[in-house]
Amino acid sequence: MILGVALGRPTPVAVVVRDGALVAIVASGAHRARAGARAACVAVDLAETPMAPVAAIRVAGRCPAVLGPMAGRPEVPGVATIVCGGHRLTGRELAPLDTEAVRRFVAGCGLADFAVTAAGSPAVPDHELAVAEIIAAEMPGARITLSYESGRPGLREREEDTVRSAALRPQAARIADETARELPGLPIYFARTAGGLVSATYFCRAPLVCRLGGTASAARGRAALSGDLSPGAGPPEGTLRDGGPPGWEHAGSGPERAAYLDAVAAAYGATLTGPVAEVERIVRARGGEELDRRLREIRDEALTRVVSAGAAPGSATVTASAVNPLSFLPDGLYWARITATGATP
Amino acid sequence: MSRRIGLAELPAYAAGSRLFATGATESSFRLTLDWARSLAGQGVELVAAGELAPGTRCAAVTLAGSMIALSEQLPGGDEPAGAVRTLERGLGEPVGAVVALNLAAENALIPLIAAATLDVPLVDGDGTGRVFPLVEQTTFTLAGIGAAPLALAGASGELVLLDTVPGRVEELLRPLVLAVGGWAVAACYPMSARDLAGAQVAGTVSRLLEAGRPESARPSAVPFGMRTLCEGRIMAVEGSPRRDTGPSLPSLPSSIVVEESQGLRRLVRLEAYNEIVLALADGAVVATTPDQICMVSTRDGAVVDVDRAVPGMDVEVIVVKAAPVWHTERGLELGGPRAFGLVL
Repeated sequence: MILGVALGRPTPVAVVVRDGALVAIVASGAHRARAGARAACVAVDLAETPMAPVAAIRVAGRCPAVLGPMAGRPEVPGVATIVCGGHRLTGRELAPLDTEAVRRFVAGCGLADFAVTAAGSPAVPDHELAVAEIIAAEMPGARITLSYESGRPGLREREEDTVRSAALRPQAARIADETARELPGLPIYFARTAGGLVSATYFCRAPLVCRLGGTASAARGRAALSGDLSPGAGPPEGTLRDGGPPGWEHAGSGPERAAYLDAVAAAYGATLTGPVAEVERIVRARGGEELDRRLREIRDEALTRVVSAGAAPGSATVTASAVNPLSFLPDGLYWARITATGATP
Repeated sequence: MSRRIGLAELPAYAAGSRLFATGATESSFRLTLDWARSLAGQGVELVAAGELAPGTRCAAVTLAGSMIALSEQLPGGDEPAGAVRTLERGLGEPVGAVVALNLAAENALIPLIAAATLDVPLVDGDGTGRVFPLVEQTTFTLAGIGAAPLALAGASGELVLLDTVPGRVEELLRPLVLAVGGWAVAACYPMSARDLAGAQVAGTVSRLLEAGRPESARPSAVPFGMRTLCEGRIMAVEGSPRRDTGPSLPSLPSSIVVEESQGLRRLVRLEAYNEIVLALADGAVVATTPDQICMVSTRDGAVVDVDRAVPGMDVEVIVVKAAPVWHTERGLELGGPRAFGLVL
C-alpha cells in the first residue's frame, strides 16, 4: 500500500493506493492513513515568490554585463560574482581557480544559500567541487547547489537552474520537515515536474526538478482516472470501487470541489511513477572501446543516483540513453544523456 | 535605400535567422541574441553593396567553431571588434562595412554585433545563401576572392592574423579555433564593395527580416525553393568513433535513420558531417549537398541539429535549394558531395 499526498490545501489530501488502484481518500490529515503504508509519494508545486536570496558564484572568464550571473532575473534576490577559473569542454583548464576571491565573496556575502556554476563543468566539475569545499570550510551549514549535477551544457541556463534550485531549497527543506513530522518513519518521495519521483533528501538538495510536481501529478492522475474528475462528475470510476472510495463525501461543491478533485488527482498521480534520475555529461573518448567504458561509467552514475533518489537497488535500470558526437570540437567529444528509473522499495 | 536594424527589427531578424539554421544551440543563440539586444539600441544601418562607395573595404564576419563551446565559454564582449581591428591592422586600411558569411542563427547576429560595435553598415547579403561547415565554402571563393588574410578573436583575448594561399585556410584555421577554446569570431574575405556586390548572394538579410515576421510562412525565407522529402520518426542516430574523411572536416561523420510515417514508409538515411550532406531513401539518392538538407521538428517547428537528434523524435526532412552558383561545376566541386568525401 502506498500513500499519495497532495500539499497546497490548508489540509493535505491523501489517497490510499493498493496495486495501482485508488481505494480511499483521507481529507483531514495524511497521518490518519499511514498505518500499513510502505511509502508516501508527495505532489506539491513550489512557490517561486518569494524566493530565498542566493549567493551565486560563477567560475568563468569575463563577459558583457548582459550575460552576467542573474542578469535580467530580478525575481531571484541575492548577490553574484564571477571568479576566475573553469574548464573548456575539451577538459583544459581556462584559468586556475581564484580561491581567494571565492573566500572573500563567501565571507562578505551574508547569505547561506549558494549556487555554484563553473564553465565546462559538464565535462570537468573539479572547480565547482573545489568551490564547494571552500564554502563548507568558511561557512559550515551553508546550503550549496552545484550546477554539474544537472550537467546540462549551456552555462547561463545551467546557472539559472542552479540559482533557482538554490532559492527553493529553504522552502523545500521546510516542506520535507513538515511531511516527515506528519508521517514519521515512512519513506517519503516527491514527484518531479518531468515525471518520476525523488527521495526527500534529493528533493531538499535539488528542488527545482520538483517545482511543478503537483501540477504534473494532477495531470497524470486525471489521465489515469479516465477524466472522471471533472468538477461536475460523480466519484471516479475505473480503478475505484463502486460508489467511490471512502472519503469521497468530502468533495463538496463549486470551486472547492474543483480544488479537491485536483488534489485527489495529484495525490493519486504521484503514486503512479517510480524514482527517476538523469545524468548529462560531456565525455571525451578516443575510439569505440574508451567510449563504451565512459558510457558504462555514466550509466553506473545514473543507476547510483536513482538508488540515492529512493529506488530499490534491485529495481534500478537504464531506460533511456542518447549519445551524440559534438561538431566542430576535437575528435572524440560526445554529449551523453542517460536516464535511469526504479521502483519504490 | 538604406534602413536600420534596431531593437524593433531584432525579433524578426532573429526569428528569420533560425528558420533553416543548423548547428545552432538554444543556449548559444539566446546569449548571442541577448548580446545583440544590448547593443542594438541605436540600430545598425543595412545597405546594399551597390550603395557603398565601390572602393569601400568590406569584410565578412562569422563565428567559427562549436556553438556548444560558445554556450559554455561566454564571450568577453570585444571579440567581433577585435577580429575586425586585427584584420584592419593586417590590411593597413579600415573596414567600412561588414557582411555575414552566412545568416544562420548566431552567424546572423555576430555580424550585426560587429557592425553595431564598430559603427559601420551591415551589407544586405551573405556569402553562401545557406550555411556550409567550412569557411572557404562560399560564393566569395567561387568568385575568386580569398578568405585570407583572416583575423581570429578568441574568448580569452587571443588575436590571431592568418595569411595563406586559397585552399589552406580551413586546415590552418581549425586547430587555431580549437586552441583558443573551440570557438572564435573570424573577420575574413577582405574585399572592395565592388567585388562584394558581384560575389555575394544579395538581399538575403532583407529576406530574412521579412521571413522572420510572425505572419510569414517558412518558404518565404528561401529564395530558390524548397521541398519536403519526408515526414517520419528518427529511428537511429549513429556516430562514428573514427574519422575517415581527412583532417579538414570539423567533426565526425554520423548517420540518422528516419522512418517515413506515411506513404511508402521508406527508410530515409541522412549522412552528416555537421551538416546533412546526403539523403538516401531505401538506398536511392534523393538529395545531396550543395542543397541544404535539414530536419525540422514536427512538434515545434525548430530545426533539429545532428548533435541533438535522438530516436523517437518526429521530424520533417526538408531540402532547400541552393543558389544557382552552387550548382555550377565549380560550385559542386566546392560544396557538392565530393567536397565531403562522398563519391556517388
